[in-house]
Amino acid sequence: MSEVRRESYSSEAVRGFDHRTAMEEAARCLLCYDAPCSEGCPAGTDPGKFIRSIRFRNPKGAAETIRENNPLGGVCARVCPYDKLCEEACSRCGIDRPIEIGKLQRYAIEQEEAFGMVEAGSASAPAAGAGAKVACVGAGPASIACAAELARAGARVTVYEREEKPGGVLTYGITPTRLPQKVVDHDIAAVRALGVEFECGVNVGAGVSVDELLTGRGFDAVFLGTGLWAPKIPDIPGTDLDNVYAAADFLKLARVNGGFPDAEGKTVVVIGGGDVAMDCAATAQLSGAKKTAIWYRRTIAEAPADMSEIRYVTELGIGISENFAPAAVEKSDNGLIARFAGRDGASEAAVACDIVVFAVGQGAEDARAAFAVSTDEKGLVAADPATDREGVFAAGDAVHGGKTVVDAVAKGKEAAAAILAYLNQKGVK
Amino acid sequence: MAIKKDLSIEYLGVKCENPFFLSSSPVGSNYEMVAKSFEAGWGGVFYKTIGIFVADECSPRFDNNAKEGVPWIGFKNMEQISDKPTELNFENMFKLKRDYPDKIMVASIMGSSDEEWIQLAKMAEQAGADLIEGNFSCPQMTSHAMGSDVGTDPALVKRYCEAVVSATSIPFIAKMTPNITSIEIPARAAIEGGAKGISAINTIKSITNLDLDNMTAMPVVNGKSSISGYSGAAIKPVALRFVAALLQDEKLAGVPVSGIGGIETWRDSLEFLLLGCRNLQVTTAIMQYGYRIVEDMASGLMHWMDERGYDRLDDFIGQALPNIVPAEELDRDFKVLPQFDDDLCTGCGRCYVSCYDGAHQAIDWDAESRRPKLNDNCVGCHLCLNVCPVQYCITPGEIQFKEGRGAHEVALSSHYV
Repeated sequence: MSEVRRESYSSEAVRGFDHRTAMEEAARCLLCYDAPCSEGCPAGTDPGKFIRSIRFRNPKGAAETIRENNPLGGVCARVCPYDKLCEEACSRCGIDRPIEIGKLQRYAIEQEEAFGMVEAGSASAPAAGAGAKVACVGAGPASIACAAELARAGARVTVYEREEKPGGVLTYGITPTRLPQKVVDHDIAAVRALGVEFECGVNVGAGVSVDELLTGRGFDAVFLGTGLWAPKIPDIPGTDLDNVYAAADFLKLARVNGGFPDAEGKTVVVIGGGDVAMDCAATAQLSGAKKTAIWYRRTIAEAPADMSEIRYVTELGIGISENFAPAAVEKSDNGLIARFAGRDGASEAAVACDIVVFAVGQGAEDARAAFAVSTDEKGLVAADPATDREGVFAAGDAVHGGKTVVDAVAKGKEAAAAILAYLNQKGVK
Repeated sequence: MAIKKDLSIEYLGVKCENPFFLSSSPVGSNYEMVAKSFEAGWGGVFYKTIGIFVADECSPRFDNNAKEGVPWIGFKNMEQISDKPTELNFENMFKLKRDYPDKIMVASIMGSSDEEWIQLAKMAEQAGADLIEGNFSCPQMTSHAMGSDVGTDPALVKRYCEAVVSATSIPFIAKMTPNITSIEIPARAAIEGGAKGISAINTIKSITNLDLDNMTAMPVVNGKSSISGYSGAAIKPVALRFVAALLQDEKLAGVPVSGIGGIETWRDSLEFLLLGCRNLQVTTAIMQYGYRIVEDMASGLMHWMDERGYDRLDDFIGQALPNIVPAEELDRDFKVLPQFDDDLCTGCGRCYVSCYDGAHQAIDWDAESRRPKLNDNCVGCHLCLNVCPVQYCITPGEIQFKEGRGAHEVALSSHYV
């Protein structure tokens, strides 16, 4: 019998470092010249430098480096696909195994929190009130990164979020076993300390228009970091049945309720092969599902999910069936039947279950209607990061499709640079 | 945003942007190296020792001492003073001072006669050095008229100091050897001879490892080796001891000390400052890690100052010195029993092994639960705490006063990371 992991929905799955174990890990670091790990981070978090700070007993300096380069340093420490980025680049791979960069980053940010650096660091915020006014729409990773960069450069930034709390996918998507809410809150507190204001419950594009922001409210520029929130469900019969969910709705219900409310004792089928599918499956299982299974139309080798996430759901006792695409969902006497068609054209499967979750990607909402900006054939905002509307910029998943948090941070930072250049050119100080 | 604090300090009448200097060694051998170190943030350099004697070096010339998985605990170096022409070195020094006027240039010199010391001092002055350091302490010179053989002879130290001081008005610093019982004796001689400051310590005479093929020490130089200077983290405890001895010596009261020996981090730096040093010198850690280590030395020190509410180094320099007292002055009225956190304990039993074999058989071992239990034999030595691999598992606990001694407040360390 295999021992599967049993843990609660809201406790973090991975144990962090203490001072000693962090030092042991940092001592494994080769302190490379022109560190390849630092090159490997899209957001420029500079692990080469912050690990060196930990190694030389300066965890506060390490936290500063992370915070300066990546406003979502605590979040990225939990959710980054390290094995494909900095850790893959790590020179130590040539000896044995890479440095656990994510865990060291987590340690440094935990030290930042323990020392109360964010609270004490308000002096580091630039003089508020003097700079240009910028509105960021959506309080997810791209907007947060953009807002932090702008605020550091002296801009007055307001982030508008239509949900009750900021964070976007961080607050309403990823499972707390991977990303506890307090980590998200701490990163956002650090952005607030830079002078960024968050206004939640404001739906720009519906309640308030971009015109209103640019003219009525006097913003000099607007950034759209609205993400991908339109559920994407394949066009097959039965998707409108009760207990059939799109991933975003399923995860959000779980986040808001401290676990998916109706999973206890149920059989859950999750369809998809990305990190979001793994999150949905873990959420179902940790919320008390009797059985959770993942069905994916391709193979694990082709799956976009990070291997560590695949490993994690496997450890939870969740199986993954490969090469089966969803064909229909039907109602049965005691629940649902999910039907699948094999990739080989011959195999078929029918799975009795209570809940079906489609985690096959998120779609774009109608940005043309909401913000009067051009979109491409997939409905993504056309931006580089300037849109075709003067003073309106966009980046993150809304522009690039579903990417990682660290990609959104990188794009948000780039957009901030473009906005600053625009403001500078327009002579707005 | 990175923290910013004033780390500037006045040292021998010279305003230094920070106390972090390269010590006279391979790390400050030419223009390019020193320039790069300045760009990295070092406040000044003790340029590699210049003599009339130009060194003829052996190869290889380094070795390091390891323990388990940690290399470079200590480092052995057989390199002598500069192997470059005397004039070229002073020319480099001149150019560096011209190009980096705010950085502090200290000329480290070593002569083998009054005339040589005088000549070198004059050249240093012409080169624009802010300060001059006399190297009385290199333990691997091929000439016994120079180096630590001179530094252990107070009469010679005094005489050469007098020679230098007669030739220049630039403040002169004597760099002392630890290869002596009482470092204060030659240091006093240096001050009597006119030196204004003391640097300590130079490297410790050593044999790090033997090579079993050649039946000699490391490094093997064509089948042979020599005793030479040991440095790095391993020697910090010895350096701090000698520095404390200098700073506590009544006859040396007020003489500024530049601390050297095993400094790698801001915390090491702080320890030398807390004893009373006004300047810090580093080589071995730079040889191992590069000039970039100064970034965390500065940043870490600033963060500590911020935590404690200090605005300048002078607010805390020397604060620990009065608390280093002779053994007979320690409060011996009590013992501090260790306390064990059974939840943190991983059941390795190292505390049991060490207490039995190296202390007082004060721990009973519960084989069933694999947990230690303290018995009445405990003397409060804390060997268990030192050997425990788990952070905060064994910490100082109950304080027990010896019979007939009155109970009173006892200050303890709470920092066992």
